[in-house]
Amino acid sequence: MLIEQLINGLTLGSIYAIVALGFTLVFGVLGIINMAHGEIFMFGAFIGVMITSTLNAPLWVAFAGAIIITAIMGYMLERFALRPLRHKQGVSHLAPLISTIGVSILLENLSHHLFGAGNHPFRASFAEISFQIGSITVYLVQIVIFVISIVLMITLSFWLGKTKAGKALRATAENLETASLLGVDTKRTITMTVIIASAMGGIAGILVGMAFNSVTPQMGLSMGLKGLAIIILGGMGSVRGAMAGGLILGLAETFIVVYGDSGYRDAIAFLAIIIILLIRPQGLFGQKIST
Amino acid sequence: MFAELINPYYLQVASFMLINIILGISVYITLSTGQLSLANAGFMGIGAYTSALLTIHFDLPIILGIICGALLAAICGILIGIPTLRLQGVYLAIVTLGFGEVIRVVFVNWESLTNGSVGISGIPHIGREMLKSFQGFGFNPSAIGLQNNQFIFLSIFLLLLAITVFIIWFFRRQHFSRVGRAFAAIKLDEKAAESMGINITYYKVLAFAQGALVAGFAGAMYAHILAYISPADFAYHRAVEILIFVVFGGSEVIWGPVFGAFFLTLMPEVLRFISEYRYMIYGLIIIIMMAVRPQGLIDINLLNWFKNKRETRRQKHGAGNQKDM
Repeated sequence: MLIEQLINGLTLGSIYAIVALGFTLVFGVLGIINMAHGEIFMFGAFIGVMITSTLNAPLWVAFAGAIIITAIMGYMLERFALRPLRHKQGVSHLAPLISTIGVSILLENLSHHLFGAGNHPFRASFAEISFQIGSITVYLVQIVIFVISIVLMITLSFWLGKTKAGKALRATAENLETASLLGVDTKRTITMTVIIASAMGGIAGILVGMAFNSVTPQMGLSMGLKGLAIIILGGMGSVRGAMAGGLILGLAETFIVVYGDSGYRDAIAFLAIIIILLIRPQGLFGQKIST
Repeated sequence: MFAELINPYYLQVASFMLINIILGISVYITLSTGQLSLANAGFMGIGAYTSALLTIHFDLPIILGIICGALLAAICGILIGIPTLRLQGVYLAIVTLGFGEVIRVVFVNWESLTNGSVGISGIPHIGREMLKSFQGFGFNPSAIGLQNNQFIFLSIFLLLLAITVFIIWFFRRQHFSRVGRAFAAIKLDEKAAESMGINITYYKVLAFAQGALVAGFAGAMYAHILAYISPADFAYHRAVEILIFVVFGGSEVIWGPVFGAFFLTLMPEVLRFISEYRYMIYGLIIIIMMAVRPQGLIDINLLNWFKNKRETRRQKHGAGNQKDM
């Protein structure tokens, strides 16, 4: 029982971690909270539903489709909602936040019109396959989700740490002007960051669709808010923090459902950030910010 | 003649417009110290639920219920305001957003008190109560040629109008007072304001509490006008809607949120075919406004321009009159 819940929690947590990574990448480089990330994630899930159930295509096609579409959405977001605000004099630092809120409202209601307000089931061909290890039941879906998330996280860490583009991204996050002086094409790096973050959101969308077997236009909002809570918990802009925070939140939510009141499941994330901001405002893995 | 002009539907829309104006002002107040609060929908919910529950279960007069609701919201504002003071900008926005979400979850789950996501119905209606008390004094709406229904909506509208005018007057006065100057100084540069001897903590919490008080009041009025509330009324979408009033109208002067709330409440009513796409249009408005005119439609320059124009016209008229003489 305990181990099964642990597995459930880790599956949920690894999805949360991927959603949070999308937030943290954008925040690290641009210093912007991308409120539209949850809605891009939701679009990824819907594209997965459309491809697997309407076109009856295999799962990898769904992944490819979702990545492509959400990457395009990420580019549009950067081009039309974020770039016009950059380098503009006298713009409040809240302007990009408000602008991405605008994108999120637009996308949420667009999906209402495109896909309807109802609940779409997500059919994965192997949803019912499960293994029996001793007394524990493990679903294949859970393993697939967990493996994909771990691979994604390792790839991202490797890419950030070892490749030239990843180093350019980190340099831009450290200091935009200095990176630009040292020959990093910061404009391209920023666009690329938003695109990668959005594509990760799209992947997370399909994973959530597989895990919960349902996709609704409202899921973007709740997942987006949780992603925000996670990056505050883990430390804004910290990649390790997002991963750890995601897993912590996933486990905490699973265990409160089992041992506590399931209704308050969605409130944990926010209670956690209110507490963490009082005790350790920079987050678990964040560097101390001088104010 | 007079009675035929009074259409309950228009009055209802106008009343909600006034409530939206009050809500817009509540965000404007906190924003005038440079703090973006997205918790105002939550404060509105606290005000609404407090007043509704008190009037239903304890038979409190509506007026007391509304005052209690607004005060409780203000207390929550202070409680949230003090710890979040050390947060700035984006962090504050997210924490207040989270606070609003916690409030909503509590409303949904505390079923014994709030009736869960079904909501509370049968809240005493402020217009009907007013009609009853007027009738108690021996006054009958038909004496001035009104049906009961018309009288109810007209009295709500007039009451709200008086309150809104009072609130605008109050905060305009405050804006030009010591407190308003302190707010403006904090918004421009916190550290400079502090070194000039302004107690930032006090003024920031004051702004937060004022915003919460006004939002709580608007929520309580909302509950007693609609007579039905549910947690969904005070969720994220409400918070964003209030924010849009301010973003669209402008956050520099008090007329910004007033105009924003007025225009954006009227638009879906006038353009019926739009109301289905209302939120999509809201989203587009925000994106375009931020890119083109981040300070909102109405700012100080625009107001000054109007003022100058009026003055030059007056001068011209004055000159013309002198010639005639």
